[in-house]
Amino acid sequence: MEVLETWKTVKRADLLQMYYYLRLTRALEDRITALYRQGRIVGGVYTGNGMEAISVGYASALERDDIIAPFHRDMGAFLVRGITPGEVVAQYLGKRTGPTKGKDGNVHMGDLKRGVIGFVSHLADNLPVATGVALAFRLRGESRVVVTNTGDGGTSRGDFHEAMNFAAVRKLPVVFFCNNNQYAYSTPLGLQMAVKDVVDRAKAYGMPGEIVDGNDLAAVYLAARRAIQKARAGEGPTFIECKTMRMHGHSEHDSAKYVPRELLEEWKKKDPILKADQMLKQIGYADENTFREVGERVTKEVEAGVEFAEKSPLPEGPETLNGVFATDEEIKP
Amino acid sequence: MPTDIIMPQLGESIAEGTVVKWLIPTGGRVEKDQSLLEVETDKVALEIPSPAAGYLTEVFVQEGETVPVGTLIARLEEVKPDGVVNKVAGVILRHMEPPEGGRDYYSPAVRQLAKEKGVDLAQVTGTGAGGRVTRKDVLDYLAKREAAQPTSTRSAAAPSASEEVLPFTPMRKTIAERMVKSRQTSAHVVTFFEADFSAIARFREGKTLTYLPFVINAVTRAIKDVPILNSSWGEAGIVVKKDIHMGVAVALEDGLLVPVVRHADRKGLTQLAKEVTDLAERARTKKLSPEEVQGGTFTITNHGGFGSLFSTPIIHQPQIAIMGVGAVQKRPVVINDAIAIRPMCYLSLSFDHRVIDGATADQFMSKVKAYLEQSPWEKYL
Amino acid sequence: MTTATAGREVTYLEAISQALDEEMARDERVFLMGEDIGPYGGAFRITEGFQQKYGEWRVLDTPLSESGFVGAAIGAAMMGMRPVVEMQFADFISCAFDQITEVAAKNHYRWGAPVPLVIRAPFGGGVHGGPFHSECPEGWFFHSPGLKLVAPSTPYDAKGLLKAAIRDPNPVIYFEHKFLYRRIKGVLPAEDFIVPIGKADVKRAGSDVSVITYGAMVHLALEAAELLVKDGIELEIVDLRTLIPLDKEAIYQSVRKTGKAITLHEDNKTGGIGAEVAALLAEECFDSLDGPIMRIAAPDTPVPFSTPLEEFFLPKVSDIVAAAKKLAAY
Repeated sequence: MEVLETWKTVKRADLLQMYYYLRLTRALEDRITALYRQGRIVGGVYTGNGMEAISVGYASALERDDIIAPFHRDMGAFLVRGITPGEVVAQYLGKRTGPTKGKDGNVHMGDLKRGVIGFVSHLADNLPVATGVALAFRLRGESRVVVTNTGDGGTSRGDFHEAMNFAAVRKLPVVFFCNNNQYAYSTPLGLQMAVKDVVDRAKAYGMPGEIVDGNDLAAVYLAARRAIQKARAGEGPTFIECKTMRMHGHSEHDSAKYVPRELLEEWKKKDPILKADQMLKQIGYADENTFREVGERVTKEVEAGVEFAEKSPLPEGPETLNGVFATDEEIKP
Repeated sequence: MPTDIIMPQLGESIAEGTVVKWLIPTGGRVEKDQSLLEVETDKVALEIPSPAAGYLTEVFVQEGETVPVGTLIARLEEVKPDGVVNKVAGVILRHMEPPEGGRDYYSPAVRQLAKEKGVDLAQVTGTGAGGRVTRKDVLDYLAKREAAQPTSTRSAAAPSASEEVLPFTPMRKTIAERMVKSRQTSAHVVTFFEADFSAIARFREGKTLTYLPFVINAVTRAIKDVPILNSSWGEAGIVVKKDIHMGVAVALEDGLLVPVVRHADRKGLTQLAKEVTDLAERARTKKLSPEEVQGGTFTITNHGGFGSLFSTPIIHQPQIAIMGVGAVQKRPVVINDAIAIRPMCYLSLSFDHRVIDGATADQFMSKVKAYLEQSPWEKYL
Repeated sequence: MTTATAGREVTYLEAISQALDEEMARDERVFLMGEDIGPYGGAFRITEGFQQKYGEWRVLDTPLSESGFVGAAIGAAMMGMRPVVEMQFADFISCAFDQITEVAAKNHYRWGAPVPLVIRAPFGGGVHGGPFHSECPEGWFFHSPGLKLVAPSTPYDAKGLLKAAIRDPNPVIYFEHKFLYRRIKGVLPAEDFIVPIGKADVKRAGSDVSVITYGAMVHLALEAAELLVKDGIELEIVDLRTLIPLDKEAIYQSVRKTGKAITLHEDNKTGGIGAEVAALLAEECFDSLDGPIMRIAAPDTPVPFSTPLEEFFLPKVSDIVAAAKKLAAY
């Protein structure tokens, strides 16, 4: 189906809601990048610049009590699930008001109440965990679903294969996304895998797979929705490869000079927000005013978040010793 | 029986030899006549056969060293040495050698125990490796020491029907410990004075004051005159205290406590009476806080309550004196060569002779007596 | 499967099986994952009959993917289940090292989500298993804050500790010694009981030398103790039972009493748990030491296969006797 037609199949309200999140994600990460360049953030900054449609798209297709097991390019998913810009900046600043109270940094956030599994730096470790989340749903007969994501590099790790395999063998309600942004740090796709499309691996494990334009919000959303419905119906896992491009370096300290200029220029034209603007205008759901209003709204929200975070206290040294072990009060023994 | 290996004479007029190579590793087994080492002189190089079978336990001369003929270069033992380093299996990878210094080496446990119990380690027989004094040796020594001091508690046979055993309360244990320790610490000497309480008795009439506030007042003033009574034995010298915190002994049902009236010299009779009453009441009802029984610099003990006249009280460490107040009793006394009936009271000052001598003590007590007998009490209300 | 009946003697293996059975019956959140645990009943037959009783989904035969299914267990645990993962041999736990040390151990610390997970690891040698079926890997995990490690030596402790581990809201690695499976028997109470995690047990009281140990070595120490009685030496044997958190007070109490300590374990010597105990004793009990601390452990090699080599490798009763004699005479 023609791209515009697929956009039309999504409800207006849903599209506008997702559009807002696209803008919020971009604004928040741009602001964090700026703070980093000003030296106000320490540690690493990893953004999903140019890839926002993927995380916003899949997260928006989930129900309230579904679970996400994201990775570091998925800021949009965190926001859709209800993590606030203030909490995100507090997290980056290592403040006590962030989701990890300073125990971990950047996008390593998690919150069971909002259905977000906190991931680790070891890419693809979140995939078996997601499979396990789906296993719990299956064991308890719940109609909940978990969506997980990793990059092209992540699919080289053993955990990716073990998770895909186990999920397929047991037909578990998990959807595997792959953010194929063509670079794993400085390693181009050609040195990462011998196949051209990561989706070929789906067949290897006996699950359906599809390729989606990762910069097309509606396409991602619809593909996610289909896969999630399938999983919820007990038909097992799906693998969705999103083709996209990593527009910034691996992290904000990486100038990414190894990426050919032409590639970046080509993909700049396919920027997901730009595309969304075009589609929404064409359909007639929004115009320049809408875009400007949304822009102002997200800017205000982000600023409020930065202010909240900067005013928040840092944790104190001895808090290092807290929380190594869980207590019986936290879960019924 | 160990076999000595000596540097052989490898020819006439040869005076020394060089050990070139040991052919058996240290700790290794060698049979009789088996080549043990290679020796060289400027004339000849030879392999030396072992004079006996055994284990090469000790090597005194290393490869490349030159020594005179006859020097002891190694030793063989008949029995395999155990716990030797070349046993790689994960067991004893160190020699359990007796410590260097044998008898004079004291392990941490031994030192600690000796310190805690006041043991002179030179007196203790060592039965450990190399003559070392072991912890058990110290414990045995302590047991013998205790046995040598007969105390009534040693008849620890089960109580018969004619005896009753009262278990120790924490307070009793503490009092016992403190009393004995105080006697061991200070050189107790007691001096007795007598004071005429008629002026006080007259002044008291109609007032709800006991004798005690007057006594406290007199003592604090006397301390100001003879400050050394308000001191303690310090590490560098006698520490004279400027603040006067008066301990007042209070008898309890099953013991005693000494609550402290702080800055007693700054308080009038009325306030002293109030505080003492309050402290005594709370002492009896166990409502004192720890701070209230600490920090005293001088103690008064009112032992006259049940009629006691004299006393030899025990000093409340780390103070250096304690004054007992006997019963106030009407007695015949001689005044101006005539007999008069006066309420008299014996005051017993127990003092630490390490710090002060009799003359000072008496000087202090004569001040106390004077203040008790001749004060304008209205001024001190 | 065995059912618990009062007064009946059960093996160490049966005790483990009973614990699993009882916990699964008691709490529907508990489920098992591992290779060949379903119809086959597990490599050591511990889960024999379980799948028939509890169904295919609560006794899950997994693919050969230790990292994958330990990760899955973590995910399920975070969702409120109580998975018990079986490593077919403790040696294979290295495949899941990443998930255990990076995800499970650090999870609660980082974002407050408990991981109530148990990993059963059949460890130890003496079974001609060679380097990959005899390992004692507890040392690797001893150093990962966020994990609890337990190692029972008797059927009673085995049952009680497994129950405690399953009920604990933290990830617990349960080291069961395969040499003890059918060799050690005990009578267990019929009613429910747990052995608290974090508490050592003095298996034998003595006044002369403390032996701090765990796992199969406890039984060697007991044997050595009987032999030493003739020499007038009384060993005190402290069975740690839990490795993290260590029951430091129990260790100190024993060594303060005897003044002499031997640490004993089957794991390699360097950096083993005995090393930590020795350091703690030197730090906290220095003034109680009446002799040097001794460590008995396997040498720093992989576990060899050939019988004379494995015999050389494993600590023996004679090693304990010799060490204790030396230390007592010091």
